[in-house]
Amino acid sequence: MFAAPLAGAALVVLTPMARLAWFVAATSAIVAAAFALDLTASTLSVGAANGVGLFATALVACCAAVVMVGAGALLKDWSARAAPFGLALGLCVGAGWTGALLAADFVGVFLAAETAWLAGVALVALSGERERGALNGALRMLGAGAVASALFLLGVGLIGAGAGTLRLAALPAVQITNPGVTATGMGLVLTALALKAGVAPLHSWAGAAFGRGSRFAVLVLGSVGAVGALATLVRVAAFAIPAPAIATGVAAALAALGAVSVVVGSLQAIGASNVRRLAAYAGAAQAGGVLISVALGSTAGFAAALVQMFALAAAAIILLGGSAALGGVQLLSAFDGLGRRAPLTSAAMTLGGLSLMGAPLTIGFLGRWRLIEAGVGAEWWWAAVAAIALSLAGVFYCGRLIERLYVRRAREAFVGGDPWRLALAPALVAGAGAITLGLAPDSLLRTAAMAAAQLWNGAP
Amino acid sequence: MSTELALWCVLAAPIAQALLVVVLSRPPGLRDAVYFLLACAGAGCTFYLVGAVAAGETARVVLARPLPNVDLAFSAEPLGALIAALVLGLGAPHAMHTIGMVRATRERAPARLMALCTLAAAAAVAVALSANLFSFFVAYQALILAAFPLVAHRGDEDSRRAAGIFLATLMASSIGLFLPAMVWTYAIAGALDFQPGGVFAGRVDPLTANVLLVLFVLGLATTAIPPMHRWLAAATAAPYPALVSIYALTILPAGGVGVLKIAAFVFGPALSDAAIAARALMVLAGVGMCMAALLALSKQDLRERLAYSCMAQSLAVVTGALLALPAGLFAATLQIVALSCAAVTLLMAVGTVAAVTGRVNGSDYAGLGRVMPVTFAGFALAAASMIGMPPFSGAWAKLWLITASAASGLVWAAALVGLAAVLTFAHLGPLAANALAAKAPSDAINRPDGASIVLAAPVVVTALATLWLLVLADPLASFLSPIWTPRP
Repeated sequence: MFAAPLAGAALVVLTPMARLAWFVAATSAIVAAAFALDLTASTLSVGAANGVGLFATALVACCAAVVMVGAGALLKDWSARAAPFGLALGLCVGAGWTGALLAADFVGVFLAAETAWLAGVALVALSGERERGALNGALRMLGAGAVASALFLLGVGLIGAGAGTLRLAALPAVQITNPGVTATGMGLVLTALALKAGVAPLHSWAGAAFGRGSRFAVLVLGSVGAVGALATLVRVAAFAIPAPAIATGVAAALAALGAVSVVVGSLQAIGASNVRRLAAYAGAAQAGGVLISVALGSTAGFAAALVQMFALAAAAIILLGGSAALGGVQLLSAFDGLGRRAPLTSAAMTLGGLSLMGAPLTIGFLGRWRLIEAGVGAEWWWAAVAAIALSLAGVFYCGRLIERLYVRRAREAFVGGDPWRLALAPALVAGAGAITLGLAPDSLLRTAAMAAAQLWNGAP
Repeated sequence: MSTELALWCVLAAPIAQALLVVVLSRPPGLRDAVYFLLACAGAGCTFYLVGAVAAGETARVVLARPLPNVDLAFSAEPLGALIAALVLGLGAPHAMHTIGMVRATRERAPARLMALCTLAAAAAVAVALSANLFSFFVAYQALILAAFPLVAHRGDEDSRRAAGIFLATLMASSIGLFLPAMVWTYAIAGALDFQPGGVFAGRVDPLTANVLLVLFVLGLATTAIPPMHRWLAAATAAPYPALVSIYALTILPAGGVGVLKIAAFVFGPALSDAAIAARALMVLAGVGMCMAALLALSKQDLRERLAYSCMAQSLAVVTGALLALPAGLFAATLQIVALSCAAVTLLMAVGTVAAVTGRVNGSDYAGLGRVMPVTFAGFALAAASMIGMPPFSGAWAKLWLITASAASGLVWAAALVGLAAVLTFAHLGPLAANALAAKAPSDAINRPDGASIVLAAPVVVTALATLWLLVLADPLASFLSPIWTPRP
């Protein structure tokens, strides 16, 4: 799982032909996804303390595999020399976040997360080959990453001093000698991860990176990087919240950050005129919903967070993959009338939009429902209100996109056509997943519930 | 044909109709034939379903199970079957009229218009036949999404803005109010199934019942209950066939049936626990009814006038449903039937007049009845029904409503219904009389062939439908009795 993409990345760099490099990259990503699914299925069914991590590992690995398959049609964004490096960096992002989700201690999480983040920065910087503005995005990511790393390391130090251990699994059971210091440290670690996940208002890097990066870079950042970082945050919180000494502080911090992210992300998404930025801001808003679910601190809350992460990943792949399949169309005004000219892509993007709105029979609705249910169960009425606010905001920003696709007439010639090509594969696969799991969510709900429930087995 | 198969056919027929109209959009003759014949087939299926339900049969189809203990399911029960029959039964003459309209107005995208009208009908039928709150919500959202492009159909800036208001109002209310109420209901009852006698009986305290009732009723903005009625005026941007679909066949009836289902199948006797909210909502609906009728009087554009007139009728449904009496539920059901029959006739007649003469203002209608006697005969009958003049459908509905209001001691509600009827007379009566009695204009017709049979015949057919409650009110009462008679 961790080794397959890294070995694949090494092979890809050594492969001179771009097409062959893509084949190797896609194969290694698929192999890693297969291993991740197998590990999750076999380990969750017999019980494991790292249920959240296992669930998220499968999710991140599958996202990486889907993105890598679609990357075959995006190779022309790079020169022949740069293409293998781009693919290898994409694999490293997936491998890094997978590693962070499986790491046993904070140091492992830090190293794996840094690997993933720096690979992401390099991927965006590589886009500077064609679009110089991408370098600005890479620099912003680098700066934000440096801040995040400092916060993370400081937090790890405080946790070590306060709890006397850096092992994640030991945290719920360990006797915490200094709860204040430990809670502060945990807060810093979670803040660092939130920054990398693009949670508002810590997502200052997202606009430039998403707006200027190449199609592949943006797809990897949005659907593997952001989801991986968010999943890592959820996993770390899943070990912190069962620890009674720091649970209240961590939950309060996550709830506050989540609520702010819902509001700020939604407002920014409503104001966005660029579909990539819209995806980034909508992702921040959805991530806010995930944080609120985690803050509930219950099995139902964590299960809701996992389902929402799934929905977030699907929506990110659909929106960013759809934009990539249309030749990198970014401005919302360029989507006018595309419903007729590119019906398949438009249908997929509509599905993604509906899922973000939380329309019934989509995976987004399921996540929203679970959040409301968990919030009502814990008598956190404001959490239910936040979920409703997420949906209402989704109606505005996704309704606008759908309206442009189907109601408006195109004002300029569209040369792309509806590409029944690999570029569309990620959006179509994610769209099919969003609707299939929306209609028959039993297996997803069961897996999420098992993953969340096993977390509490290790708690005192 | 089994009842279950009939239920499948009723749900699937409009969808198949929409798909085939798009696929067979050329030549126009084939498109129109498919459109009309499938509309008739759908109507036939619903009539069969009504017959089967009247014979005591039931059916339930489950499409998926998206949540634990919650199916995406549809069932054949009296209220749903009746409204489905109404939507698809009136849908057949509306299909014929739409064919005439797209030809008379040289509609740019006729197949799309037809397909969207049919999809909206499919969603309205699904709303009516939904077996639980979740299925209702799914179908309701589908209805909004299907009707939204109808409002934006013209494609200009004004219609886009209107469509935005339409979508935002209806979506925001359904997601912001109805969805939380549904989740809350799930948290209280552990299930969302509609059942006679309600799911709340003995499970909710008065405060919760009051809050939930407000959330449910205001969440159903398609009833046009103030202050959620902004979509109503915005929808006038739609072309005439779409207006008929929105006001008479899909959106307003769906709101009405939604309130009825909430009152009868979710609250049941527990509605008495929510008496404060029910009374407040009835005041809102009653005052809204009179204000809408008054506003209609101030509108010269017939689309706007009829929109507000339909709003007044729709709010009468809300008033009846909230009376917490079997007679109120029956009155509300009759009111939906009366509203649909009268509104479809009036809007088709107005569309015919606009297509043939280019006149859209009430002040330009003087004497038109002399040059378009068939169309205006239908208009006059439907106007009489809308006003509540016997022996038309509207009279029986209002009679039951006034009786039920008075029986429950709410004389003020009966008075508001009566006042709304007087105001409806004021905005429709003189218009019909002036059109029929004034001197005919010399330059009325700007189409060489006048109103073709496909434009005039549906108006007459639906106008005659306003008479059917005269003979069917009693059988209808026994047909609908399972709604307010819980199974032992």
